[in-house]
Amino acid sequence: MPAELMQTVEAAREVQLPLLAALLALGAVAKLTPRSSGSGLAVLVPERLRIPSTVAVGLLEAVLAGGLLVASGLLGEGTRALAAAVFAGSTAVLLLVRRRAPEAGCGCFGGLSREPVGWRTLTRAGLLSAAALATLGLAPTGGSVLTSFTWTHAAVLGTELLVLAALSPELRILATRILRREPCELRRHPAGRARRRLHRSEVWRTNRPTLLSSEPEDQWRHGCWRFLRHDGLRHGRRVDVVFAVRSGGNRNTAVRAVVLDRESQDVLASYGVVSTRPLPGPPRKLPAPRRAARQEAGLRAGAEAERTLHEAVENRSGDPWKDPEAGRPV
Amino acid sequence: MSVTTESGRDRARFTAAVLGPDTAPVPTPIGIRVARGVVVGVTSYMLCLATARGEERFLFERVTTFWRGGEVGSEDLRVGDDAVVRCSRDGRLVAERVWVQLARATGVIVDRQGDAVVIDPGHGRQRRSVVLPYRTSGRIAVRHPRLVPGHVFDAVGVWRDGEVWAARPATTQPPYPLRAAPHRPPVRTYTNTLNGIATWYDPSWGRSTHLDPRALATGAAYPALDRESHTPGCDARTPCVPLPQLSVGARLSLRNDCTRETGVLDVLGCAASDSWLCDLCPTCGGQGAGRVACLTLASFVAFGGSPEEGCFNATVTVATGEG
Repeated sequence: MPAELMQTVEAAREVQLPLLAALLALGAVAKLTPRSSGSGLAVLVPERLRIPSTVAVGLLEAVLAGGLLVASGLLGEGTRALAAAVFAGSTAVLLLVRRRAPEAGCGCFGGLSREPVGWRTLTRAGLLSAAALATLGLAPTGGSVLTSFTWTHAAVLGTELLVLAALSPELRILATRILRREPCELRRHPAGRARRRLHRSEVWRTNRPTLLSSEPEDQWRHGCWRFLRHDGLRHGRRVDVVFAVRSGGNRNTAVRAVVLDRESQDVLASYGVVSTRPLPGPPRKLPAPRRAARQEAGLRAGAEAERTLHEAVENRSGDPWKDPEAGRPV
Repeated sequence: MSVTTESGRDRARFTAAVLGPDTAPVPTPIGIRVARGVVVGVTSYMLCLATARGEERFLFERVTTFWRGGEVGSEDLRVGDDAVVRCSRDGRLVAERVWVQLARATGVIVDRQGDAVVIDPGHGRQRRSVVLPYRTSGRIAVRHPRLVPGHVFDAVGVWRDGEVWAARPATTQPPYPLRAAPHRPPVRTYTNTLNGIATWYDPSWGRSTHLDPRALATGAAYPALDRESHTPGCDARTPCVPLPQLSVGARLSLRNDCTRETGVLDVLGCAASDSWLCDLCPTCGGQGAGRVACLTLASFVAFGGSPEEGCFNATVTVATGEG
């Protein structure tokens, strides 16, 4: 076997150590977060053991991740063998889960793995088991591979990451969660953020002298809008100043306010509302002088043509047009 | 009768002042077809109720039906019972249907003691003990196979000695515990008209219904209440219907898809337990899953719903002042 090929195979074996450690650490973190039990192994155990079993698997994965990174010698070999056994065992568990609860997710990455167990998840578990087996007998630890990382390692790692990405249904769910922002009506809208947006606005600065206190008396939510009601005094009369702050959208039109008389409940003033009526357009730019002259000439020529046509229509006899006073042809 | 607070009414007025009158339509009054009170006398042809309006009498006709954990006759009504009456369309004097000692338990099971389960309704309300009598336990178990802590429970029954005696299930229990319930996938666009199911709750808990103004309260508890403008204790989750975030005092238009009755309701409070369930209503074969509103018992009956069935298919419209 050529030396380069040997080197590549060796690099491929070595790079499995940090990769497996990273994947195990991610899985451990996802499993130890709340609301992650209810898929994978948890489907097979009784109700009361679901959370303990998920936490136990998460802890085991965390220990394995640490072991793959730092353990060497006999301990390192044991960790790698155990990792291979865990991945092989998880393949068997996933097959069982698929038979017993076809709609349950694999739970490999906690709440992200909610898609039913399919061939991709099974293949991934099998490949990772093989990758862990390939690391048996290696001298360096995961940590030392990271410190002496070469371009060969990077190329193998990139290829492997692409394969794993293709086999991971979790990536699509993660992308959906990150990229898809829900409409503002459905999103949570923290009151603190709404208040900061209000205090930066022109509408607030205009109404600030009217308010008796900068703290709202009441606040509520209606779709995209968060309302804040303040007590106020205007020309000696008690008023309610109601601010409405929109979540999202254009910052300049996101704050509205109305001032209402407390006794008569009439609206005294309204701020920040954009008119729905069409506004007159901006003044048009004047054309360049040469173009204006040409347009005018065109208009004149048109008027001249119209006049002569009119005269021709009126003078149907075809005689030359004569000035009625002088009697001469024009 | 309304139990909307002064603050709630003001909020609707202020919202209308800023976003336009469409966002806070006038709530529909309950009408004269629904009455509730305590039975003070019953004969084979007439029911006498002590209500908030005084003593009211309702005649029975051949078509009048009675419910007390099941279909019963007028002889099963007793003095002191809490009764809800829906009058016939022709006039207020004639009772069309009478429900007696009506109760509902919706929430998550927190304990099981013999043939009873303890239910946590979820929004700071008192926990309730629900008895599953042998006679109805089979029927309940068909749709609630897991009567263990952590699972959701919803049943309609009757009040007896301060406990709810379950008579029939009001939903099909999800196969997973509440904490493992899946999240709603993100929604890309928002529509202000949403399909789902409407359920009911009794704000007066069946006690002193002739004195308590909550017994005939109109309005609805809402599953997507804004957390920050509500007192703590509303442990609602994101409901599976993409409902807009609202606060107490908001107004929503509701249509009963089975009877086509429509009206406007005030949001009265938090419907935490209704945000946990994503169920269908088999009453008239609707397709919308998930609970959009939890009406008060009086509003539910006024909208033409049958409380013993627990739900009706509903279309809810919330004008949010956008566009």
